[in-house]
Amino acid sequence: MMSEPEHGPEKDVEYHPNSRFSQEIAAEPGGEYIRKCIQCGLCTASCMVANYTDKYRPRRIIQKILLGEREQVLASELPWLCMTCRLCEERCQEGVSLAEIFHVVRDIAAREGRVPKVFKDTVNQVLKDGWLLKDAFSDFIQDDRTDLGLNPEVNFDGEFVKKVKKRYFEQGDKEEVKDE
Amino acid sequence: MKEFVLYTGCTAPVRLPQYEASVKVVLDKLGVKIVDMKGANCCGAQYVESVNRHAFAAMSGRILALAETYDRDILAICGACSGSLKWIKHSLDNDWKLKDEVNRILADEGLEYTGKIQVKHLLQVFHEDIGYDAIKEAIVKPYSAVRLAAHYGCHVTRPYDIVRVDDPENPTIIDHLIEIAGATAVDYTGKTRCCGGPMLAMDQEVATKIGMDKIRNIRAENVDGIVTACVFCDIQLTQVQFGEGAQDESRIPVLTLPQFLGPALGIEPSRLGIGYNKISPSRVFASVVEV
Ligand code: SF4
Ligand code: SF4
Repeated sequence: MMSEPEHGPEKDVEYHPNSRFSQEIAAEPGGEYIRKCIQCGLCTASCMVANYTDKYRPRRIIQKILLGEREQVLASELPWLCMTCRLCEERCQEGVSLAEIFHVVRDIAAREGRVPKVFKDTVNQVLKDGWLLKDAFSDFIQDDRTDLGLNPEVNFDGEFVKKVKKRYFEQGDKEEVKDE
Repeated sequence: MKEFVLYTGCTAPVRLPQYEASVKVVLDKLGVKIVDMKGANCCGAQYVESVNRHAFAAMSGRILALAETYDRDILAICGACSGSLKWIKHSLDNDWKLKDEVNRILADEGLEYTGKIQVKHLLQVFHEDIGYDAIKEAIVKPYSAVRLAAHYGCHVTRPYDIVRVDDPENPTIIDHLIEIAGATAVDYTGKTRCCGGPMLAMDQEVATKIGMDKIRNIRAENVDGIVTACVFCDIQLTQVQFGEGAQDESRIPVLTLPQFLGPALGIEPSRLGIGYNKISPSRVFASVVEV
């Protein structure tokens, strides 16, 4: 059986988008993928989020980054809608990871205090309790766990996150997850 | 005997304890020893991950370092957790600056990440550590005439270069196990698409539409149940079936993989926490026959 021809030397083609914002993104780990996008739109075509909401078009967000629309991209909730399911990455012929690019965008937005409320609340919860569901962990659930032959206690640590919070979220304004 | 330290993640112990219980009972039956990881924390998936890469590395890094104190590889049963732990392990193993930074925070409590342990998702333990042959030999009550759809979970199988579980475009582990247990594995449109779970935080309506898309595609194949290998997928594919206009009779039972395998291995359904499933899988188990 003949194997599929490799993509050839083109596979490593990188472009040099010259907007300042695309360079800012490309300088962060994961952001370098921005240099590979040819704007074909396969990602949007394969994305389940795009399939069910017209406002979300991953190719278009990448285009805005390439065009240097920094303010518009960082102020938008759209980069936070990516499920990081990476189905588009299986499809993208240029090997672009949209999930990685959007993580970089979110990271930059977060440094400037622009985090959607639900993300901010959840991060604060985790950094307070050490895990996500302390509030939901009731006597009833302990009974269920006993009934299932499990240890009723779940044994999460609440101390380490205090260090994480102090180190990464309270060192000056830049790192903090602030109110919008 | 192969041994693992189990990292349950935040969600399974509270929202899907029957998964945790069935993992333990089934692996014990197949000769895999499990110890619970004590004093763990959230791996940081999705939320911390989205706002601060270094904080995320510290949180997942601590879990990896804790596993080193047990001197065992980690068994992760949730797609989000296994994905995060593997991602951060990869980052720490390839970025010494990040590793140093994480180790400085860990040093306070005497922990250190050296990289000596591996992270495995449950599917890998079935496939790589136990193996199809051993599972086949352990089947005492094979299913018959039951049609099941496998849902793998995006973060379980992608990105392949990091997670290395199964072919991300055409995954086969759950399907093989369905067949080994005597049931019929059924393909359906959009098998590798997301369940919509990660969208719940930002837009529940869209999340439900994505989940229902999958349920419709599965229903079109006339199956008796859905078999999952991720906490969030299992919960999402169950709860979307309780939305507006959803009919009782048409609900498709959702089962975690060990809950499905258990009865075929001769384990009592009650020990697998079947009674805790919101959609009764009795039609799946009805066919489990004595050999
Ligand atoms: S599929 Fe890849 S190359 Fe095409 S627009 Fe999307 S990211 Fe760019
Ligand atoms: S990774 Fe994000 S952009 Fe890509 S298909 Fe999934 S949700 Fe869409």
